Amino acid sequence: MKTYPLAALGTLGIILSACSSEDAGNATNADSLLTADWDAIQDTAQGQEVNMYMWGGSDNINNYLDEWVAPRIKQDYGIELNRVPMNDAQDIINQLLDEKIAGKTEGSMDIIWINGENFKAAKDNDLLWGDFTGQLPNFNDYVDADAPEVSEDFGEPVEGLEAPWGKAQFVLVHDENQHEDPPKSMSELGDWVKQNPGQFTYPAPPDFTGSAFIRQVLYETTGGHEQYQQPAADIGNLEERLEPMWQYLNSIEPYLWREGETYPESLAKQDQLYASGEIAMTMSYDPALAASEVLKGRFPESTRTYVLDEGTLANTHFLSIPFNASDKAGALVAINELMSPAAQTAKLSPENWGDLTALDLEKLSPEQQQAMNEVDLGEATLSIEELEQNRLPELSSDYIDIIEEGWTEYVAKE
Amino acid sequence: MKKQPRFLSLLLIIGLFIFVLVPFVPLVLSSLSFGWRWPDVFPQGWSLRAWEYVVNDVRTWQAVGISLWIALIVTFVNLLLALPAANALVRYPVRGRWLFEAIIFAPIIIPPFISVMGIHLSFLRFGLTETVLGVVLAHIAPTLPYMFRAIMVSYQTLSVDWEDQARMLGAGAMPRFFHVVLPHLLPGILAGASLSVLISLSQYLITFIIGAGQVVTLPILLFPFISGGDPAIASAYSLLYGAIAIMALVGMDAALKRYYQMSRVPQQEKGVKP
Repeated sequence: MKTYPLAALGTLGIILSACSSEDAGNATNADSLLTADWDAIQDTAQGQEVNMYMWGGSDNINNYLDEWVAPRIKQDYGIELNRVPMNDAQDIINQLLDEKIAGKTEGSMDIIWINGENFKAAKDNDLLWGDFTGQLPNFNDYVDADAPEVSEDFGEPVEGLEAPWGKAQFVLVHDENQHEDPPKSMSELGDWVKQNPGQFTYPAPPDFTGSAFIRQVLYETTGGHEQYQQPAADIGNLEERLEPMWQYLNSIEPYLWREGETYPESLAKQDQLYASGEIAMTMSYDPALAASEVLKGRFPESTRTYVLDEGTLANTHFLSIPFNASDKAGALVAINELMSPAAQTAKLSPENWGDLTALDLEKLSPEQQQAMNEVDLGEATLSIEELEQNRLPELSSDYIDIIEEGWTEYVAKE
Repeated sequence: MKKQPRFLSLLLIIGLFIFVLVPFVPLVLSSLSFGWRWPDVFPQGWSLRAWEYVVNDVRTWQAVGISLWIALIVTFVNLLLALPAANALVRYPVRGRWLFEAIIFAPIIIPPFISVMGIHLSFLRFGLTETVLGVVLAHIAPTLPYMFRAIMVSYQTLSVDWEDQARMLGAGAMPRFFHVVLPHLLPGILAGASLSVLISLSQYLITFIIGAGQVVTLPILLFPFISGGDPAIASAYSLLYGAIAIMALVGMDAALKRYYQMSRVPQQEKGVKP
C-alpha cells in the first residue's frame, strides 16, 4: 500500500513524457524556405498565424501593430499577425533557452523584436533560425546591407539572422522655457550642473538609457569612440583609459539631484521627475519619445530634444525568427511587410509611433522619399538629417558590462 | 447608552470607507489625466485616451475572461484537494502530520518563482506550457495553502459526533457530507475560495513563465505599462482589475450563500409551509 502513491506518480510521468515526442519534420521543411523563391514563400505563408513577441508597454506601438500593420497583412497576404505583449525582451531569450533545452521544436514565437545584448545572447546560444534577410525583397531593395548600423548590432555581426526594423538615437530632453541654452558637451554639462545644482541626474545603470549616457561620457572624456571598435579584451590598459570617465562622473555627482546620494532607478522614474518639474533635463534613446509624451500631456509643450555637438550614440533594432518558429514562411512575409516603405513611413509618424526608418533614404523612389520627409515629426523631435549627421556607433556588449560594473564600484559606492 | 456604540460603529464604517476608497482616487484621476505635474493637486487637463485604449482593445476583454476562468478552475480544484486533505489531517491520527502540513504550506514561504523555474522545464517536456491547463496547475501551488488553512480551521470546530448522529439516523456517506459537513464548512470554504480567486487573479510571474505569452491574463497586459512608465494606462488597467476582483468576490459570495439556503431551507420548512 505504501508504494502506491509513488507508482502512481511514476505512471503519470511516463504518460506525460510520451506526449512530448519530438517532431523533426518541421525543421527540414523550414530550411528549404531559406532558398525557396519569394512567390513560393508567399503561397506557403497564406493562412498562417504569426505570433510576434514584443515589448507591450506603449499604446502607440501596440496600436500601430494592431490597427495599422495587422489588418493590411491580413488583407494582402491572408496572414493573421498576432502581437504578444512581453515585459522585457530578455524574457523572450530566457523562454527560448528553456525551449531549446527541453527540445521543443514547434515553438509559438514566430517573430521576436530584439537587439544588442539580447541578440548576442540569442546568437551565442543558437536560438535564431538562420540567414534569412537575403530572402526579403524589401531588404534587398531598400536597405544598405553594408552600412555598419545594419551589418552589426552593438558590435556583433548580424550575419542575416535579424532584419533591421527601425533606428534609435540618444537625445537629451529639456524644457525650452526653463533653460534656453542647454549644455551641448560634457564639459559644458559639468559647468551647467554647478550653476544649476539639483537640476540634473541620470538613471542608474543597468537602466538602458542611463548606461547609454555613461557611454556618451566615455566617448567625450576619454578621447573619442574610435579606440573602442575592438574587443575590450584587446585593450591592455582599459582601466587607465576609463579613469577620466569615473573622475568626471564623480566630479558632477555632488551637484546632481539629491546631491547624487541616489539616482533614479529607471528612465520611467527620471521622466517622472522631469514631468513633475523636479529636474530640468531628461534623456532618451528614442528621439521621438519626448514628442509623444508632449502629445500625451505628460511633458510640457516647450519640451525640446537635442544632440551633443560631438554626436550621440545610435543603434538599430531588429526583427528575428527563432529556431523553432512554427510559421516561418508567414514570419518572412510579415517582416518583409514591416520593412515596406509604406509601413516604415507610417511608423515614422509620431501619431503612430515616431520610430526612425531602417531603410536607406537614397534607395527610395522620389515619391517615397517625399512621403517620408513630409511626416510631421512634431516640434520636440529633431529632423532626420540632423540626427543622421550626428550619429556615433555603439560599443560592443563586453564594454557595457565592464562600464556598468565599474560605475557601481567607482561612482555609486564612493 | 445605546447611542454610543452606534456612533462608534458609524465612525468605524466611515474610517474603513476612507481607508478602502481613498487609494482609488489617485488611480481614477491618473487614468483620466492629461498632464499631471507636481505640485498640482489635480491634473491640468482630462483625456479619455487611457480608457479608450483599454476598453477598445479586444485583448482586454479576452484577458478578463481568461483570468476569471483560470481563477474559478483553480479554486474548484483547490476545493477538491483541500477538503479530503483537511479532513484527513484534522480528524485522523496521521503519522508525520507536520510533514504533510509543511509540504502544503511551503509555497507561502518559498518564493513561487523558484519552483516555477524548475516546473517550466518539466512542463515544456510535457507540453503543458502555453496552455490554460498548465497555468491552472501552476496557480494551485500558491493558492492551495490558503484554501487548506481555511477549511482546516472549519473542520477543527466540527465534532465527529454530528456525523455519527446522522449515521445512526440512517444517512449514507453522501447525505452525511452534503447535509451535515458541508453546511458547517461553508464559511471556511467561502473564505478560502475568496483568497484563492484573488491570489490566482494577481499572479504575474507564474502565468507569464508557464503561459509563455499564449495565456494572456490581465496582469500580463498590465505589467509592461507599469515598467514602461505610462501611468494613465497602468491606472486604467488597475481599476479594471480591481473591479473584476471585487465582482468575482461578490458573485461568489452570493452564489455560495444561495446554495447554502437552497440546500437547507426546503427540508426545514417542508411541513410548515401552508
